[in-house]
Amino acid sequence: MLHLKAHAAILKAYLKIMLTYRGMMILHLFRVVLMPLVIAAAWLSIEKADGNPYENSDYLLYYLLVPLVMNLTNSRSVFRFPVSVRDGTLSRELIKPYPPLMNIVIESFTNNLQMLLYLVPFTLISVFLFQSHFDFSFLSYKMVPISILAIFFGALTRLLISGSIALTGFWLEDVTTLNLLLNGSIWALLGGMIIPVATFPEKIRQIAELLPYRYMLSFPIEIFSGRLTTLAIYKGFAVMFFWIIIFSFTARFIWKRGIKIYSAYGG
Amino acid sequence: MKISTPNCDNCVFTEELGRDFNIRQKSQGLAASIKNFIRPSYKLVEAVRSLSMRIGFGEIVGFLGPNGAGKTTTLKMLSGLLFPSRGKLEVLGHSPFSREREFLSQISLVMGQKQNLWWDLPPIETFEIHRSIYNLDEKDFRGRIEELIDMLEISDCLETQTRKLSLGQRMRCELAVSLLHRPKVLFLDEPTIGLDILMQKKIRKFLLDYHARFKPTILLTSHYMDDVAALAKRVIVINNGLKIYDGLLSDLTEKMQPEKIITVILNSETFPKIEIPNVNIVSQESNLFRLKAPRENVGKLAAALYNTGLTIDLTIEDTPLEDIIGNLFTEKSNFQQFRTNV
Ligand SMILES: Nc1ncnc2c1ncn2[C@@H]1O[C@H](COP(=O)(O)OP(=O)(O)O)[C@@H](O)[C@H]1O
Ligand SMILES: [Mg+2]
Repeated sequence: MLHLKAHAAILKAYLKIMLTYRGMMILHLFRVVLMPLVIAAAWLSIEKADGNPYENSDYLLYYLLVPLVMNLTNSRSVFRFPVSVRDGTLSRELIKPYPPLMNIVIESFTNNLQMLLYLVPFTLISVFLFQSHFDFSFLSYKMVPISILAIFFGALTRLLISGSIALTGFWLEDVTTLNLLLNGSIWALLGGMIIPVATFPEKIRQIAELLPYRYMLSFPIEIFSGRLTTLAIYKGFAVMFFWIIIFSFTARFIWKRGIKIYSAYGG
Repeated sequence: MKISTPNCDNCVFTEELGRDFNIRQKSQGLAASIKNFIRPSYKLVEAVRSLSMRIGFGEIVGFLGPNGAGKTTTLKMLSGLLFPSRGKLEVLGHSPFSREREFLSQISLVMGQKQNLWWDLPPIETFEIHRSIYNLDEKDFRGRIEELIDMLEISDCLETQTRKLSLGQRMRCELAVSLLHRPKVLFLDEPTIGLDILMQKKIRKFLLDYHARFKPTILLTSHYMDDVAALAKRVIVINNGLKIYDGLLSDLTEKMQPEKIITVILNSETFPKIEIPNVNIVSQESNLFRLKAPRENVGKLAAALYNTGLTIDLTIEDTPLEDIIGNLFTEKSNFQQFRTNV
C-alpha cells in the first residue's frame, strides 16, 4: 500500500478546497433531498395495491434513507474525466507515479463526505419529527455494519459503471447522454429511486435483482430495514461482486485502449 | 511494448519515432454537417514523422523549430503521455508509455505553469502532496525545499494561493515542485514563455546553476533563442516533424553565420576608405553606419576603423539566432549544402 500517504494528502487537500468553496453544495443538496421527498409524498398519498409489502411507515423510512445512500454511492467521475481528456489536464496525473484516476475518485468522495455534513442532521431531525409514524420493530443493530458494507460495495459498483462510461470520453465528446441513459434513467427506475425494488411486480423484481442498479441504492436500505433474509443478503452480495468484477475488467479494457488514442492536448 | 536496451550510455534513445494525430474535420453548412456526423471525415496530421536521436546522461539539449514543428509532441512521447504511432523509444532504459513507477519517479515535465501546482492551494501544500506521492523522506524533503527556495527566491510566495501568484512566481514554484524528487531527466517545454526579460534571465541562471549542481539530463524547447543559447551547447532543430540539424549550437551559428554586424558611430558623415575585402555598408543614418563583414575580417576592420581616428563608438554583433534558424527553413538549398558539409 505504497500510496496510502498520498491518498490521505490528496483527500486533505480536497477537503480544504471544498471548505473554501461551499456554495455549490447547497444546490446539490436540494437535488439529493428534494426528489426523494417528493416521491415519498406521492407514495404516501396514494392507495397501495394489494400484495404491496410496503406500508406508509416503510415508505417513510425508505425515502428518508434514500438521500444518505444516494449520496454515499454517488460518483461524479462522469463529469470530471471527459473534461480532463479534452483540456489535457489528464496529462498532469499521467506524469506522476500515482494512479492517474485516483484524484477524481478522491475528489468525488470528498464531495460525498461533505454532503454528509448536511444530510446526517437532516436525517436525524426528520426521524425525530416523524418518529410516531415509524415501525421500529424490524430494525436491528446487527444490520448496521452489513448495510455499511453494502453501501461501500454499492459505491464501488457505481464508481466502476460511471467510470467505464466516463472513460468513453477518450472517444466521445459528450458522455452525459450515455450516462443519463445507462446510469441515470435505468438507475432511477430499476435501482429503487422512483419505486422501491421490493415493491416491484415479481418478474420485474427478479430482473432488477440481477442487474447492478439495485445495489447502488435499494439494497443497503433493504438490509437496514431488516426486510431481507440472510440468504437474500448473501445472494445480493454475490450478484454485486459479479458486477464489480465485470466492470473492473470493462473499465480496464476501455482505459488501455483509450490511453493509446489520448492526444494530450495543450502545452 | 518492451524494448531491449540498445545502448546503456544513452539517457534518451529514439529511432524513427513518430506520432500522427487524426483531426476530425469540421464542416460548413447544415447538409455537410449532417453528412459529417454520420460519416466523420478525418485528416491525418503527422506531428512527428521520423525522429532518431541519442542523448547522453547529463546533457542539456535544446529543441528548436518553428511553431507546429513537433517539439511538444516529442516531449510528450518521451515523458510517456502519448503513445507513439511508430518507431522505437527508450528513456532511462524504460519504455515511457508503460509508465512504470520507477520511470515516473525519475522524470519531470514542465509544460506551462499549471502542470504540477494545485491551483486552489498555496505552493507549499503542493510540495507536501508531492512529497507523499514520491515517497520522499522528511529530511531529504526539507533540505531540498530549503535549497530550491533559496535558488529560486520564492520564500515570499509559498503561502499564497497559487491562482493569486504572478506568472513569474508561479513558474518558479512550478520548477520547484518539478525538481523536489530530483529527477534524472527534466523535460522543459517553453519554460520562459510569457515572462519578462528579467524573469527569463533568472530562470535561465537557475537552470544553469541547478544543472551544474545535480547534472540532470535536460531537454528544453523554447522559442526564445536566448534561452537555448544560454543553456544548451547541443541543439536539435526540427521542422515538419523531421530532424534537420543535430549538433553543437556553435557549429550551427558559425556555418550559418559567416558574417557579423558592425555598428559604428563616426564623427563624420562620409565613410572612410578602408582596404578590407567584403565589407558592405548595410545602412546609414547620418553618422551611424551598419556594416556587414565576414567573421575573419572583423578584427582587422575594427582596428582599421579605430586607426582612422574618426570612430566614436563601435559594436560587433552576431546575426540574431532567430534569423539564423529562420534561414534554416527558408534557404533550403543553402542549408542542404551546409548539411552535407557537416
Ligand atoms: N492533441 C493534438 N491533436 C491534434 N493535433 C495536434 C495535437 N497536438 C499537436 N498537434 C499538431 O501536431 C503538430 C505539431 O505540434 P506540436 O508538437 O505542438 O509543435 P511545436 O511544439 O513544435 O509547436 C501541429 O501541426 C499541431 O497542430
Ligand atoms: Mg510547443
